This record gives sequence, structure tokens and C-alpha cells, in this order.
Amino acid sequence: MSCNTSVIRVQASSVEQTQRVPVHLMPCEIEHNGTARVSQYLTATTKDCKHEKTVSFRGRGLRGQEISCPQGYTGLVLKEINKLGSDQEDRTVRVSSVFDKLTYWNLETPPNSDDTVVMAMDWPELAEAIHGPVED
Amino acid sequence: MELGPFETDNAVNCRLTSQIPDVCQTEDCCLGIDEAGRGPVLGPMVYGICFCPISKKDKLKELKVADSKTLTETERENLFEKLDGAKSYIGWALQILSPNTISTSMLQRTKYNLNSLSHDTAIGLVQYALDRGVQLKEVFVDTVGPADRYEDKLSKLFPGIKVTVRPKADSLFPIVSAASICAKVARDCAVKGWNFAEDLGEVDTNYGSGYPNDPKTKAWLLKYLDPVFGYPQFVRFSWSTAQTLMDSKGVTVHW
Repeated sequence: MSCNTSVIRVQASSVEQTQRVPVHLMPCEIEHNGTARVSQYLTATTKDCKHEKTVSFRGRGLRGQEISCPQGYTGLVLKEINKLGSDQEDRTVRVSSVFDKLTYWNLETPPNSDDTVVMAMDWPELAEAIHGPVED
Repeated sequence: MELGPFETDNAVNCRLTSQIPDVCQTEDCCLGIDEAGRGPVLGPMVYGICFCPISKKDKLKELKVADSKTLTETERENLFEKLDGAKSYIGWALQILSPNTISTSMLQRTKYNLNSLSHDTAIGLVQYALDRGVQLKEVFVDTVGPADRYEDKLSKLFPGIKVTVRPKADSLFPIVSAASICAKVARDCAVKGWNFAEDLGEVDTNYGSGYPNDPKTKAWLLKYLDPVFGYPQFVRFSWSTAQTLMDSKGVTVHW
């Protein structure tokens, strides 16, 4: 039995100076790593309604909302510095941009509190309540 | 033709209507239904109804309305002005189905196909006329699908109205020709003046007829393919022409 013991190193030294960017979490897998004309296509056609945003992507109706990262947390967009051949080797990634909020999109379903990403953002506070020191 | 609210938001459907002539609320009326822009991969599909008192059918004939496809664009525009000008006895209403609605309906998880969308739109327009007090007794419909089943469906939905569904009804019944002219003028106007919501700068409007086999349309679709987003909302993503191009030249997306 083998075990993956590789380490991922994050060069996080300059997070403070890194640019903040809008981040979208899409309800599909896009086979593409690279730039995309997000502001020209997605942002330009997004509609802000009362409790949700709507847009379409590749002809599908998406409904979403903006959510914030948990308090005290910063979102990082990471880029690998060298592509390595083997998953046994250590990897180094750098912070290419940071975010403190993101827009997530559901396929046709209105955004709600049961959405995985919403629950994930609640987790740090919940974890603190469960595992934090008990005050008398 | 003024497209009003559709000019400001062409991502959603829009209904445009004339005033209801008083006489249509007191006299028995006939109503024609036709659509424009069913086949094209670009732009909206427009459904039109036109109605007038049965007693005015001969006057309608005098306006020399004919199947919109046999007329030039200018002739159609002139005829629309005449129809719109006959406010004392002719009324019309249009439902513009945005290409974005067509795409998202047809690609919905619970599929909503073009036939159902068409039928529901036609039914909605007849209901609109009834709700506004038009005394409908005869309805004439142009169809591309099987006429018998559609005729039964409409007859059951609107008891007391004699429904006639025929292929090529636009060349058989002047009131359908009139509806087809209204629909076609609106479709041409929407396509010509399309306001791209995407931030694409100056867009080449040399997109031809919008039919998939038109060389100009094909060239435009190749030019405006974005590998990630595919196309602006002007394109019907559910058309196989658009899908084939995205499959071969765009990046793959898994849902």
C-alpha cells in the first residue's frame, strides 16, 4: 500500500499586497485552466434581483448569490509554480489573488441555506463552538 | 416598429399590444395566429395575433395583406403601418420570446421543447384577447406540427370558439397573414437593432438571415465564438449548429 506523502508549500508572504478579484463558483466543470472573459460575458449580463442574482451560461439558467468568507478567513487563488510530473514530489504554489467574498451559482435552483458552500462557510464558527475551550 | 421594453432588456420575453378597438368588444370577432423566426439560430422568435370583427373581413382583404414571406421587408413594414393605422377595427398583440428564454427553456433539466413553448405562447395570446373582452368566435392558426392534435387541444381549451389549425394558414386566411406580418416586422426589427448586453465593443451586425445554412450566419457564428462562454445571448444555444461549433472549437463543459 502506498501513501501520498508529498507536501504543498504555499508562498503566502505577500497576501496583503495581492489584488482582490471577483470569484465565481460555477455549478459545472469547465475543462479550462486560464483566462476567461468573465466581466464581458458573465458580469455584464448578470441581473440583481431581490434575493438572488440570475445569469445564463452556455444557455443554462443560473441562480446565485454573493457570500462572504467566514470572519477572520481570507480566500486564496493559488497557482502552481512548476508543474511536476509525479504526485510524490513536493509542490509549491503562489497566491495569485485573494478574495473575501464570492458569487456561487446553482443550476436553475434558487440559492438557499442548504447549499453546500453556504454550510461550508458556517463551519469555522460551528467548529469553534464544538471544539473551543469551555468557559465555566 | 417600436419594441419598447424589449429594447432595454432583450434577455427576457416581452409582450407588445395595440389598443383594443371598441367594436371588438361588442361584435363577434375572428383572430389569426402566426409566428416568425422559428428556424433561425439567432435572435428571438415572435408570436403574433391579429383580430377584427368577422363583419370586417372584407375590409381586411382590401388592405391586401398576404403571407409575410411573399412580401419584401418594405412591403411588410408598410402593411404593418396600415394594420396598426386601422385602429377602429383591427387589434394586434405580440409575444417576443427572447433567444435567452428559448435556450434556457430547451436546455432546462426538465426539458421544455420548442413545440410546447410555441403552443403555450399562442394560448397565452388568445387568453390575453379574451381577458381584454374581445368577442372571439373564430381562431385561425398556422402550424408546423401536426394540425389535428393542435386543433383539438385549442378547441378544448377555448370552448365556444371555432378553431381552425392549418399548415400554411398565413396564405389561406387574411387574418393570419395580418398576424404573420406583425410578427415578422417585430422579429426583423429586433434582430436589426439587437442591443448586445455583453461587453463586446462594436459587434459586426452582418449576421445574415440568422438561418443556420446562411453563409453569413455561419461566418458570424465562427467569428463570435468564445471558447469559454460560447456565445452572446443573441444566439440560441439549444440549436445544434451552435452546439456543434462549441463542441469543436470551445472548451468542454460538464453539467
